[in-house]
Amino acid sequence: MAKKLKTVVRLQITAGKANPAPPIGPALAGHGINLMAFCKEYNARTSNRMGEIIPAEISIFTDGSFTFVLKTPPASVLLKKAAGVDKGSANAPREKVGKVTRAQVREIAELKMKDLNAIDIEGAMRQIEGTARNMGLQIVD
Amino acid sequence: MPWEAAELAEESWLEISLVVDGEQAEAIAEVLSRHAPGGVVIESTAVAANDDDSEGHPVGPLRVYAFLPVDDTLEEKRRAIEEGLYYLGRILPMPAPQFRNVQQQDWSQAWKQHYRPVAIGKRLIIVPSWLESPQPERIAVRIDPGMAFGTGTHPTTQLCLELLETCYSGKTSGSEVIDVGCGSGILAVAALKLGAPRALGVDIDDEAIRVARENAALNQVGERFEIALGSLQEIKSGAFGLHQAPVVLANILAPVIIRLLDDGLAELVAPGGALILSGILAEQKEGVIAALENAGCRLEETRQMGDWVALKASRLAVNPV
Repeated sequence: MAKKLKTVVRLQITAGKANPAPPIGPALAGHGINLMAFCKEYNARTSNRMGEIIPAEISIFTDGSFTFVLKTPPASVLLKKAAGVDKGSANAPREKVGKVTRAQVREIAELKMKDLNAIDIEGAMRQIEGTARNMGLQIVD
Repeated sequence: MPWEAAELAEESWLEISLVVDGEQAEAIAEVLSRHAPGGVVIESTAVAANDDDSEGHPVGPLRVYAFLPVDDTLEEKRRAIEEGLYYLGRILPMPAPQFRNVQQQDWSQAWKQHYRPVAIGKRLIIVPSWLESPQPERIAVRIDPGMAFGTGTHPTTQLCLELLETCYSGKTSGSEVIDVGCGSGILAVAALKLGAPRALGVDIDDEAIRVARENAALNQVGERFEIALGSLQEIKSGAFGLHQAPVVLANILAPVIIRLLDDGLAELVAPGGALILSGILAEQKEGVIAALENAGCRLEETRQMGDWVALKASRLAVNPV
């Protein structure tokens, strides 16, 4: 059947733990989509990666139906793992919390290439580097 | 006062949101995610469609938002987020965050408020399973909005149901029906409720088969409704209980309908029977009509709702040579 897209909602949530509490409840209920159907399906599809942040990109159509795809973890999560830190800097311009190498940035860019709106790997690396700097991570060679 | 604070703690959330460029969204989401327990949402603010992409795609800025529980830690978390955003703003200029109070509610039920019974044609009404029909004199088709399928209120479905209804009056009310691309099964369910003794629905999507079976059971027509994975070729080869019927439905999309007509869709229609086609945009109508005529059918009725058109045709008693 022919559908018209209403909106796209990307949820950065924890694998296997979707439930109707915020942010999922208010984000989806307002669009009239079957909340429990989403939670059940998301938890089933992510149950083998419990605890990881696995974003779901949900396409919501005007008739109340929806589809969703799982995305790669946010760059910030991958960068924290690469730098071995728990969280980003509260004062990114001044306080550096860790370092990532250019090779690590390239690795993350390659993994996330399909989810970033980048034309080539250099463009993707610039986006990852931008996120790293915003988190107070230094890029080293 | 203490009890009020405790009540608030359970009953409300503070929503923090920023509307920003795509490039900034992830960095902001990272700041919010440090303090928002459940996660962060990044939502498109507009959708555009063009000729190559009739479904549409997101355009423009994104709204990034998260929720903090209103409790003793709220002020501390809010300050930490504002500070994080302030420093981020020194690298990437961005608008100030907006705050809004959101009352706790049962979101697992709240989405249902978007659905109302919809009367269709002269005799049908589509009713979500959790509601009573407001018009008991109409034939109720029960349907729950699920993931892959909507509520049967899309114009293409409504048009199809209106035309279907015209096939079930007086002496034709006992017509069997075949639905090619049955999706949620709503059309065949309606036909069964209108008087069809038996129905066959096929779809090439496993999820459709599962949902159609659920809907058949919900409407207590499961015993008369054969639902199977497959398409036109499998029906023609006699794989199922019906290979021809006086009423045949296809609510798909114009290019698929034209291909099915070229492959012999009309042969499923018993001579003199009706073929109902929907999912056709107004500008695609002529192409479908040409394919219908080529297939030995005569256009009987056209209905339109917005951009969408549905056609009812009859199969001529003798095929053109």
